[in-house]
Amino acid sequence: MLPFPKFDYAAPTTLREAVSLLCTPGARILAGGTDLLPSLKHRLFEPSLLVSIRRLTELREWEMLPDGGLALGAGLTLQQLSGLPALALYPGLQEACRTVATPTLQGTATIGGNILLESRCLYYNQPVGWRDAIGGCLKCDGSVCHVAPKGKGCYAAHSADTVPTLWLLGAQVELVGPLGVRLVPISALYSGDGLRPMLLQPGEILTRLLLPPPGPPTVHRKLRTRAAIDYGLLLVAASRSQSGYRAVVSAVGPAPIEVRGESPEDLAEAAFRAVQPLGTHAPAPTWRKKVLRVEVRRAAESLKEG
Amino acid sequence: MSGRWHAGEEAVVVGHSGPKIDGMARITGQALFVDDLRLPRMVHAKFLRSPFPHAWIRSIDLSAALALPGVVGSMVGEEIPRKYGAIPVCQDETALAIGKVRYVGEPVVCIAAEDEETALRACRLVRVEYEPLPTILSIDEALDPARPAIHHDSRKPSNVLRRVSQDYGDVEKGFAEADLIVEESYDYPGSTHVPLESHGALAVWEADGRLKLWTSTQNPHYVHRDIARVLGLEAAQVRLIKPAVGAGYGGKCDPFCTELCASYLAKKLGRPVKIILDREEVFYAHRGRHPVRMWLKMGFRNDGSITAIDFKAQADGGAYSSYGVVTSYYLGVFMTLPYRLQNYRFESQRLYTNKPPCGPKRGHGAIQPRFALELHLEKAAQLLKIPADELRLRNIVAPDTETCNGLKVGSVGMEECIRAVVKSSGYAEKKGKLGPGRGIGIAASAYMCGALHPTYQNELFHSGVMIKVDRSGDVCLFSGTADIGQGSIHMLATLCAERLGLRPEQVRVVEGDTSLTPVDLGSYSSRVTFMAGNACVEAADKVRARLFAAAAKKLKVEDAALQAAEGFIFVKSEPTQKISFVDAVWLAEEAGPLVEAGGYTPPKIGNRFRRQSVGPSPAYSFTAQVAEVEVDEETGIIRVERIWVAHDCGRALNRTIVEGQLEGCVYMGVGEALYEEQAYRKGGILRAPSILEYKIPTLHETPEIHSIIVESHEEGGPFGAKEAGEGPQLSTVPAIAAALQDATGIWLRDPPFTPEKILKALERHRAPLS
Amino acid sequence: MSSESILSLRVNGQPFRRLVPAERSLLDFLREDLGLTGSKHGCDVGDCGACTVLVEGQPRLACITLAVEMEGASITTIEGIGGPEGPHPVQKHFDQQVASQCGYCTPGIVLVLVALLRDDPQPSESRIREVLGSNICRCTGYTKILAAARAAVGAA
Repeated sequence: MLPFPKFDYAAPTTLREAVSLLCTPGARILAGGTDLLPSLKHRLFEPSLLVSIRRLTELREWEMLPDGGLALGAGLTLQQLSGLPALALYPGLQEACRTVATPTLQGTATIGGNILLESRCLYYNQPVGWRDAIGGCLKCDGSVCHVAPKGKGCYAAHSADTVPTLWLLGAQVELVGPLGVRLVPISALYSGDGLRPMLLQPGEILTRLLLPPPGPPTVHRKLRTRAAIDYGLLLVAASRSQSGYRAVVSAVGPAPIEVRGESPEDLAEAAFRAVQPLGTHAPAPTWRKKVLRVEVRRAAESLKEG
Repeated sequence: MSGRWHAGEEAVVVGHSGPKIDGMARITGQALFVDDLRLPRMVHAKFLRSPFPHAWIRSIDLSAALALPGVVGSMVGEEIPRKYGAIPVCQDETALAIGKVRYVGEPVVCIAAEDEETALRACRLVRVEYEPLPTILSIDEALDPARPAIHHDSRKPSNVLRRVSQDYGDVEKGFAEADLIVEESYDYPGSTHVPLESHGALAVWEADGRLKLWTSTQNPHYVHRDIARVLGLEAAQVRLIKPAVGAGYGGKCDPFCTELCASYLAKKLGRPVKIILDREEVFYAHRGRHPVRMWLKMGFRNDGSITAIDFKAQADGGAYSSYGVVTSYYLGVFMTLPYRLQNYRFESQRLYTNKPPCGPKRGHGAIQPRFALELHLEKAAQLLKIPADELRLRNIVAPDTETCNGLKVGSVGMEECIRAVVKSSGYAEKKGKLGPGRGIGIAASAYMCGALHPTYQNELFHSGVMIKVDRSGDVCLFSGTADIGQGSIHMLATLCAERLGLRPEQVRVVEGDTSLTPVDLGSYSSRVTFMAGNACVEAADKVRARLFAAAAKKLKVEDAALQAAEGFIFVKSEPTQKISFVDAVWLAEEAGPLVEAGGYTPPKIGNRFRRQSVGPSPAYSFTAQVAEVEVDEETGIIRVERIWVAHDCGRALNRTIVEGQLEGCVYMGVGEALYEEQAYRKGGILRAPSILEYKIPTLHETPEIHSIIVESHEEGGPFGAKEAGEGPQLSTVPAIAAALQDATGIWLRDPPFTPEKILKALERHRAPLS
Repeated sequence: MSSESILSLRVNGQPFRRLVPAERSLLDFLREDLGLTGSKHGCDVGDCGACTVLVEGQPRLACITLAVEMEGASITTIEGIGGPEGPHPVQKHFDQQVASQCGYCTPGIVLVLVALLRDDPQPSESRIREVLGSNICRCTGYTKILAAARAAVGAA
């Protein structure tokens, strides 16, 4: 029915080899493939080589860190991750994992893949015939952004369910590349440019996710039309500390947005002022903006109750 | 509770619950769908489709595509120029576009290759030069005479495919007698079927010079005729086989480019050709629900009786006619049921626009006006201060009557349906009392059990069934019907088994093969149980008569003294006097092969209005529904919590299958009420040709469904049966709309009731009057 | 790095060794190379669940899985969990409840439930509903599917 384009495939057994293969022009990393492979079928890009992480067993390991935090292999599936007893101390993250797509896809998709999920847009994540009819878009085969024709760039939305919560938790990712290893806070991983949403260097592989020791709980709320399959129309994570409330909102632009407030209402107003949803999703941006206020307030209120 | 063929006998098999004879094949993955079939030397073909909604095709350059290694051949529209269409009087479609494209996604070129990937790549190498034309994308644009005609080459170029105008009784007098007149406009959206199996075909020309075509269709007979005609063949040269079909819901009634191009290319290339649409293409094949703009005026007396209905409907039909002529009638015909009405006027138009063609979807043409009528009744009930269930009960047509537009109604289980859903849901106690954000609503409806007239004029039978029994004991039933998941195979086996004293699983059913099976017109208009069921009973009764004659001779009794059950033929008064079914067959074969056929031809009940040739049916089914919803008033997000549905299906031949149809109808109705819309962005481009963006409900959006079977006895139906596959969907959307109104006070007259629309309406509702 | 590989795996308990191109989906491998056509093309991009198979006992969408990724894996398709003579309890209850209408989604849904009941023989109602969210059925309104799943609990 809908075949894949042709590509080469490699399944290296060492990270070093994987990094070197990923430096090949046109190479892409293949983890769970739940976003990459549909994108290939839709011809969003046609890589010359897929580098599989399948044999990099270290990416599926996890350990408790001396400070009480967790180091999680990027190749753990969302299902494996949410099932770890240690994750009960990170309820927002656990909830976020369990709201991704469907349970079957949670068993395939990896946490690394989710963190590096390509930005999404109603005009981009479409089948090939459809994109031909609109003449492509800035992100693929075209020169116009249909979301903001007069805008300066691509506004495809950051849509990774786990990221708002990871951002609030102060999580970091370990990146291994041709120049060595570096740690980057989740909050510094996203460029804000829908065309190249992740600040990754060529050849870099996300190997581990580092969670600090459990702190104040976070909550995760996902607004979507259907309670399965769908990507979020709004993703909201919130937390509360002595200094007040914090929320990270996503699905509203190429990068998540953080806001702070004294009270749930205050936080909601801050989000309402800071965030302008665009036409990257089917429902009207005006509705999403109104509901954003409700979602943020409800997220914060649930912390109050807890 | 017994049918006219066997008064006084209790049914043994009919009316039971439980498995379908073909269930295990589907549950174990053994059922073969068209994509599961493979032939030696088979090639795969793919379509290049138009990116323009309306444009001249100036040139097509295939050279680069044909040079691609692995490409085997190609075709363009001019190679099969004959036009086709589901209704012979308005055939306006070709397998591939010729000279002009009329919607985004219309197939233009078909390329065959050794594998699908190569065919797809080759399609992308084709260079087509288009010259865009002004587009017609809305009802108003279609009615604008200044716009070009989409079918510029038709006899009377116009973007109005059909205008229907009918007037019964005296509508003005009816309004003059009314104490209350309610007038509103409604907008019902387009939606599409989304069968999980896409359309597909596999064609091969055999050594005897004949075409064999497997295709995923619900109408083998009509498609067979059209394929032969368009390809310039004698129909007898074509054998069409319907394998297992992954559902249709009306979406696989028409002939499609898959069938025509696979057949044509298979001849041209001398190799079997398979074409399977991908998911995006299924949205372009469409033939889904027409978006309809409606205006409805109704008069009521203070006691709730209806004095007149005046109704206008305009349907946005897309680029080709499909079943559009029929749609234009269905939009008005069923408004005279299930409520008494003397004065009725309706006018409808079915228009051409530059979008994928609309066609029949479950409840064809009746869903949209039913929504308007039932929500109208809710409004009237509130204004008249009569409970909405009571208002309906006061107006129900009597059994064995004729409506003002000449529909002859037999059994009517409407009252029992309304009372059943009201009682089981607690409607009366809950209405207006569920508290903020929660509401309950009711609606009712009626639907047909098969069209009295075929799509092409003829006086022949509508359904034929042949049963062959031989000394091995094998009972093989041949029928041209198309089981598309609704259970018609099991229905036939049940009726045959009932008459022959067997179990359904002892009957082998061969169906949907135009060479092996007698003609049946197809799985549309909810006709199969009624029509094929009758044909089946007739065939089975002929076999039964021969078996009884043979058994009577052996047992030395009169034929009339016998009964058949549990694999034996026995003397009713002395059941130990018996012979086995197989022994009876052996004896009966002494008189020659035991092959018998039955046919169903609708009674010539006609209609006193000659113009009313579309709509009359031998029987009508009735449904009532109650929906309970919850609305988040801050976000507008709505959830249908529960639905109670009661349906008068006549006699339920298999209760589990009937329930399944009710549940499936409600599910599809919930989708149309809240989530689904075949919507277009500017340029006539579909908003969402994917399951990710076209929001068919998952389990989580599906309400708890309580189905209640109401049995009436329909004199002309097989064992008194009517239909269950479509009618139950009619009242789902208006029941939800009424529940939404009860929950929030807002009247939404344009499904789907999305959170955006609800929130906007709530804001207006809450705003102080200015 | 190569455009094709020799793939060794077990499908329904039987070992296979085949040369497969890198871009072959697991679904096409099962259907075209092994003739196991019970797994279906529905949407082909991971939205509907009609292609679900079990990989090491866990549900996986074969339409968006590369066959080459299955090196050394053990796969179960609908053909591997029971036939009409010896149906799996989930299949038996699907049959009795008529939980399959057109049957196109059925193999995938049956496999999801088989996996659930193997991991958790007494799943809660909410757990059953959660996993069934993975699959689209367009015919049944899910009512009979839920009934079959409930009936299969304890019988599996």
